[in-house]
Amino acid sequence: MLKGVKIASVLAAAALVLTGCSKSDNGAAATTAPATSAAPAVKVGMAYDQDGKGDGSFNDAAYAGLSKAQADLGVEIKEVNSGSSATDASRQELLTLLATDGYNPVIAVGFAYSTALAATAAQFPDTTFAIVDSVVDAPNVGSLVFAAEQGSYLVGVIAASASKTGHIGFIGGMEIDLIKAFEAGFDQGAKSVNPSIKIDSKYMGAAGDNTAWNVPDKAKAASAAMIGKGADVIYAAAGGSGLGMFQAIKEAGAGHWAIGVDSDQYNVPSLADYKDFILTSMLKRVDVAVYDVIKGVVDGAPLTGVQNFDLAKDGVGYSSSNPAVADFAAAADAAAAAIKDGTVTVATK
Amino acid sequence: MNITKQQKLISILGVGIAILSITRTITSNGDLTSAVTISQALGFAVPIGLAGLAGIWSERAGVVNIGLEGMMILGTFGAGWAGYQWGAWAGLVAGVVFGGLGGLLLAVASVSFGVDQIIAGTAINLLATGLTKFLAILLFTDAPGGGQAQSPPITGEIPTITINAIADPLIALHDKGLFFISDTAGLLSGLFFQLSLLTVITALLFIGTAWLLWRTRFGLRLRSAGENPWAADSLGVKVTTYKYMAVTISGLLAGLGGAYLSIASTIYRNGQTAGRGFIGLATMIFGNWRPGGTGAGAIMFGYIDTLRLIDSDNKNVRGLILIGALVVLLIAVFLLRSARRSTGIGFALLGAVLVGAFLVASNFPPEVAQVAPYITTLLVLATASQNLRPPAADGAPFRKGESH
Repeated sequence: MLKGVKIASVLAAAALVLTGCSKSDNGAAATTAPATSAAPAVKVGMAYDQDGKGDGSFNDAAYAGLSKAQADLGVEIKEVNSGSSATDASRQELLTLLATDGYNPVIAVGFAYSTALAATAAQFPDTTFAIVDSVVDAPNVGSLVFAAEQGSYLVGVIAASASKTGHIGFIGGMEIDLIKAFEAGFDQGAKSVNPSIKIDSKYMGAAGDNTAWNVPDKAKAASAAMIGKGADVIYAAAGGSGLGMFQAIKEAGAGHWAIGVDSDQYNVPSLADYKDFILTSMLKRVDVAVYDVIKGVVDGAPLTGVQNFDLAKDGVGYSSSNPAVADFAAAADAAAAAIKDGTVTVATK
Repeated sequence: MNITKQQKLISILGVGIAILSITRTITSNGDLTSAVTISQALGFAVPIGLAGLAGIWSERAGVVNIGLEGMMILGTFGAGWAGYQWGAWAGLVAGVVFGGLGGLLLAVASVSFGVDQIIAGTAINLLATGLTKFLAILLFTDAPGGGQAQSPPITGEIPTITINAIADPLIALHDKGLFFISDTAGLLSGLFFQLSLLTVITALLFIGTAWLLWRTRFGLRLRSAGENPWAADSLGVKVTTYKYMAVTISGLLAGLGGAYLSIASTIYRNGQTAGRGFIGLATMIFGNWRPGGTGAGAIMFGYIDTLRLIDSDNKNVRGLILIGALVVLLIAVFLLRSARRSTGIGFALLGAVLVGAFLVASNFPPEVAQVAPYITTLLVLATASQNLRPPAADGAPFRKGESH
């Protein structure tokens, strides 16, 4: 029996070590010295939520801003991931680690860091923190929020203009206010074009159900059902589950359009197979926001407080890399102008 | 009056279709028995069913397999890793092999070294989660189209079968909306509409398992290792060998379930199994450690999940509540007639509450459907515990030569 206990503890230890690896192993590899800089370089610590880069969407957008800062401003960077079994305590450890090592600014990517960041920011008043997609009220924290509803309004306009059946769909990831704002803007935009349009909506999981972002097979079933009932344009704000929507649209064939989210998914390599069906993407310029935060610290004027990246600041928008979207660009641009000058207010619920 | 097994099965099927039919008529919701729903439900049932079947193999030989989820994760990873390089079929094989390695590890830990089976299984779940994440970063980050958390797309696909000559007339009949006949047609049409070859393979594996474990000498010996390994040992059965085989086969099957998920989604992605290994474990208990019941449970859970997902105006969940109410009331009638009064009254009350909920509320949160598998399993455990019969020595450590 004793032997058995030994084996079990070795197994458990191995599991812990491996889980630990996935959290931060790339951090060491990604630490690179700036090419040319006489003054001590600004060290940027970036904490992604869950599994970090490679989602072809949100986290990759944050990384784009970081790598732009690395190239343009010569900053030193370190990246860590929280891992999918992260807790507030483990996230706080990551942030504390970055702050202790002298990383400034420390940027947390994702609303899940809210609690952890509030606690860490209080401990390190001299470090500038930033959080994407959430508001943390502290003097040294920049809260980078996006008017996703405004961008979604624009793709809603495009969806309703492109739809021939007068029936469109929305696939959401986790059913939380953050994602509901995407749906609300999309609905309002679509209805501004066609008040009687039918909009199906489905979320992959309830609040707190982290699997909601990782179930492309379920998103495919939901999308296929919408298509079966006549929907011909679908917009997904569902992280990794969004892939299932692209698959369903592709299987439905020509005449059906997918609308991507966060990054310009038309140009994402892992989605190359679906490219011809991706009409446009709602762009959430996390890259712009991340770059601005780093630039603020480099220039000695850190961005703190609530920074709302809306249409006026080019924080959100739609992508026009698929030439097919040109037919609807006039309508979308008119809507964008109306939002910017305040004629149209987009609801978030 | 003696009822044969076949008659019993047919009457259960008939009553089931009648319940669906009544619900469809009352809620005027054609989704409940349409070809698309059934074909999708079968698709969702495959990974859950394979996990359940994997559980049967392991537990029938007396090894509790909490590590099913981990073995499925290994399967998803194997399929993603081999699938993007050499195609879907290679992915399938790699997924099965990776899952089998997980099974072998559980066998080594729990059979050879006598580690507590629950602890060993939990360790495998942790190990699989950590290992696949680590390997994903290592192998997929720089692969074209891959990322830290997902593999590049799997090339090629497993074919699906649609027999239009049979499916089309059945679908047409379903669309007529006749009571019972249309629903039967709808349910049948689902079997001939976009049926994945893997679904067929899964069905064959269920039949093959039932035959191997209950109709052959091999199966008898394997099950004896789960019922009374000490007696089997004294009669010359190589208990340890059988346990090894059973747990490894369990891993292979769970790996197949994982591989199916990756191939159906065309990628491997961290966290893709989303707890389906555990739902598989629940179906195994629901199915009384037997293939028939486990398969039925998997289809039921797949059906519930499908209805939730294809539901655009929240009609389906309401339909599910009514189906649940009718089933519960029917069970109540049986219980009351067979003189199990207190349980029967409990069921009657539950049924009444569900009917009340159906009549009063017009809109149910979709989460109701998400928790349905767990609630159903709890209900089965609470009420049918006298009839549930896990293998007698399930979970017991075995040392050759010991007696009990």
